[in-house]
Amino acid sequence: METDEQLVLRTLTEGNHYYGILIQRHADYLFGLGMRLTTGRRELAEDISQQAFLKSYTYLKSFNSQKSFKHWLTGIAINCYRDMIRKENQYTSLEPANEAGYTPELQCNKDFYSLISPLNNDEKVIFILKYIYEHQTNEIADLVNMKAGTVKSKISRAMEKLK
Amino acid sequence: MNQFEIIVQKEKDLSYSQRNKDLLSYYILTLIEQEQASRKLKRKLGIFLCISLVAIASLLFSPLFSLILSPINDLVNQLVLYLSNLNLLNILGLATVSYGLSFALITLLMEQSPTDLN
Repeated sequence: METDEQLVLRTLTEGNHYYGILIQRHADYLFGLGMRLTTGRRELAEDISQQAFLKSYTYLKSFNSQKSFKHWLTGIAINCYRDMIRKENQYTSLEPANEAGYTPELQCNKDFYSLISPLNNDEKVIFILKYIYEHQTNEIADLVNMKAGTVKSKISRAMEKLK
Repeated sequence: MNQFEIIVQKEKDLSYSQRNKDLLSYYILTLIEQEQASRKLKRKLGIFLCISLVAIASLLFSPLFSLILSPINDLVNQLVLYLSNLNLLNILGLATVSYGLSFALITLLMEQSPTDLN
């Protein structure tokens, strides 16, 4: 089986068909990340995943094949989530747990969404990356474009809130 | 294991599945192709516009164009001169002669073959 990096190279040299394989390979991962970030909103999670794939294709030439494609894709998805929040904030809030009529999808872990509901968006992203995807602090810092110290302080602030 | 760890572990064990991955992949690839096609079209239009502008500019400033333009220019000058020398009496005279000739021609034709004209 070809690696992601090989598929990226083949997409750039031989055509879009190979990007389809990358989409199929990472669709579930990005969707899961989207679901966790949006606390179980399937439509928003699908939007994030779709936007992330489109954006990553646009910037595919700038992808550094020395790094992991999945890691790079995760960073793009997080940026898409932030863009979405910025846009959504102009109209409505993206905090479904506080809304009266909101019920997450049945397959979701409602306890987890309730647990992270007191966190702000940045804290939520960092918390998910650390405790669900088990990323190191420096990896998270790279993904969210923050200094490692800032990430650490945000983690400890998040943990304070969750106590 | 405290409650926090249980919840986090439960979430870690949960696997999410994107609905219809084939359709998603097809849809994204279609969007990408659309975007590429529109970018190509814009680039082609830009190139065409640049080439047209260069061609028109070179034609306007070329000596060949002045060669083509000079007889046209002469004709236009002659026409302008002719029109500026015309007066109303000449026009009326010319119109009378033209209508007279036309009338004479029609009459002659009708006399020669009245059935053909009908």
